[in-house]
Amino acid sequence: MAQTNEEFVASVVRQVLKEISVEAPASAAAKSASGITAADYPLGMKRRDVLKSPRGIPFDELTLENVESGKVAFEDFSISPDVLSMQGDIASSAGRTQIALNFNRAREMTKIPDERILEIYNSLRPHRSTKEEMLGIADELQNKFGAAVCAEFVREAADVYQRRKLLKGDLPTD
Amino acid sequence: MADAKRSKRFEILEKRPVHLDGFIGEWIEVGLYAMGSPQDPKPSIKIEGDKIVEMDGKSRGEFTMIEQFVADYAINVKNAREAMAKSETEIARMLVDINVSREECIKVFTALTPSKIARVMEEMNVVEMMMAMQKMRCRQTPANQAHVTSAKDHPVMLAADAAEATFRGFKEIETTVGVVRYAPFNALALLVGGQVGRRGTLSQDALEEAFELQVGMRGLTSYAETVSVYGTERVFVDGDDTPWSKAFLASAYASRGLKMRFTSGTGSEVQMGAAEGKSMLYLETLCVMVTKGAGVQGLQNGSISCIGVPAAVPSGLRAVTAENLITMCLDLEVASGNDQTFSHSDQRRTARTMPQFLPGTDWIFSGYSSTPNYDNMFAGSNWDISDVDDYLALQRDFKVDGGLRPVKEEDVVAVRNKAARAMQAVFAELGFPPITDEEVEACTYANGSKDIGDRNIPEDLKAAERLMKDAVTGVDVAKALAKRGFRDVAESIILMMRQRVAGDYLQTSAWVGSDGTVYSAVNDPNTYMGPGTGYKMSEERWEEIKAIPWAIRAEDV
Repeated sequence: MAQTNEEFVASVVRQVLKEISVEAPASAAAKSASGITAADYPLGMKRRDVLKSPRGIPFDELTLENVESGKVAFEDFSISPDVLSMQGDIASSAGRTQIALNFNRAREMTKIPDERILEIYNSLRPHRSTKEEMLGIADELQNKFGAAVCAEFVREAADVYQRRKLLKGDLPTD
Repeated sequence: MADAKRSKRFEILEKRPVHLDGFIGEWIEVGLYAMGSPQDPKPSIKIEGDKIVEMDGKSRGEFTMIEQFVADYAINVKNAREAMAKSETEIARMLVDINVSREECIKVFTALTPSKIARVMEEMNVVEMMMAMQKMRCRQTPANQAHVTSAKDHPVMLAADAAEATFRGFKEIETTVGVVRYAPFNALALLVGGQVGRRGTLSQDALEEAFELQVGMRGLTSYAETVSVYGTERVFVDGDDTPWSKAFLASAYASRGLKMRFTSGTGSEVQMGAAEGKSMLYLETLCVMVTKGAGVQGLQNGSISCIGVPAAVPSGLRAVTAENLITMCLDLEVASGNDQTFSHSDQRRTARTMPQFLPGTDWIFSGYSSTPNYDNMFAGSNWDISDVDDYLALQRDFKVDGGLRPVKEEDVVAVRNKAARAMQAVFAELGFPPITDEEVEACTYANGSKDIGDRNIPEDLKAAERLMKDAVTGVDVAKALAKRGFRDVAESIILMMRQRVAGDYLQTSAWVGSDGTVYSAVNDPNTYMGPGTGYKMSEERWEEIKAIPWAIRAEDV
């Protein structure tokens, strides 16, 4: 082989990185308010400057000492919508669009209380809700929590459940 | 009936353990067919605008909920015409061609229909699949996951076993229960013990979906994987979910900063009696695609708890290998099974693991039993702790990184003891039923629950209930540990809590290093393109694997 192993490895890595950047949808880069990409990953090591708890405590202050002194509480160890956007941008820039969409829904869900999330999940199980109930949940997601992506997802589910007879009161399809 | 004269040899063969295993011929109607059932649909695709209006011979109006979800979320329509135009052989050859990059393969696979993907696998033999796995797994460095369970749900024993498992190298640990109400304590034991054995351990408590999410939200676990998906609509509905409810649940996990993967596996639809005459691999392909479409980073498959079904039919274990490979080809993390007993034959159970062990996967086992199998509450794993020295020998024999390392007895005793004492401290500080010094001692040196006494179960269960009612969190556990002198363990738990803020481990195929650095397919992508590329074992790691303590040292002879 004319190439040495190292040269070959380097060329493979370059090719991988090139294809990653080619695969990244142009819109994702434009949408990325954060400007964060796979090159900033892991954020916990490379970009601590941009990491904050939901109420704005810097990442480096989330320490045991600050827990003991009461300066930091359990609630501060939560992901913020901004960080989910950044992780979505990282996933997009690595060509993983579905993960970015998942994080988009997750971003909206950070505003929904634990209990309500579990209730909505249960309402989305088969034969649990009427179409009206599902559309009601979609409206609540949109109007009360500003969760437009989640709302659209639930509306889509309502249509599919209707077509496949998976609403409350429907008999099983076969 | 008059006995025919018997061959002594056949009489001996019949007594071999393999004759205790179940084997059955192919049976198309009930789906007892590994790959390529005559009733599997033929690949096809029709696209109008950016919507798939026909897939695998079915028009959009007739799609099941699964097919609609897959068509709308899991297939890259932009590349579909070009990808579907390739022959199955051509695509299979891309997978084993070292001159074709992983990225090129991913681009094709993410634009194929379910039937097409399953048919590509039919073109490959198992060695070709292993070659493909070496290139296609997401993360370059392989890793391993353990089950940590106890027939007595003994919290001290669980903590000690969790510590030993992670000290031995398992980067993720998973528990479940004998008695459901013990579940909060099991989560607590793995949290504490797991961090004692190795800072950065990811732990989970496999139970009902809503409970899993709840303990995760509180920081008692850091990931989940028993979120099941299925390949036929009827079985999916029998499992009380839809692709939309499961995708919503997946987003709920991400919204709380928790890692998660889905679970599926060949044979589950047969076992639940509604395979609709399709092959196991075709149905499993739909499961992998539902996972992809939901935007979940990974999948536990490789038949999992249904392994007895594919293992009974011809080409069954080849299909199990293929389902792992499909997961990789769709750019998902794979926790590749090997987690359930299926055979009495040591040869068969070893062979079953080789297609994942030799090429390496993201998680070679999605549950190596770190306890004796009598303590395994997942109904026993394909390998248990009694086999661990065999495993270490295999790593050394073949120079394969299977994720584990040889350990010294005194070191294991020390980490088990520390974990048991840490658990004792947490119980004392949180006012749970006391853990005696005798219990600490017994669990430090025990092999399994047969070697230890019984807890006061009613009192434990009351306390476990209180743990949930009082909403005890990971932060409370860290505070308790720090107050009782286990500051380093407390720091480890805070380090894990911080992962929830950074979210790095939400990316594909992540594990957490002891300094808090997350390694995943983003910063440790697989770059394999033939000999001299891809994962290369470091000298340091090779020295570690070589040094099994019971080998004779040449200089001593």
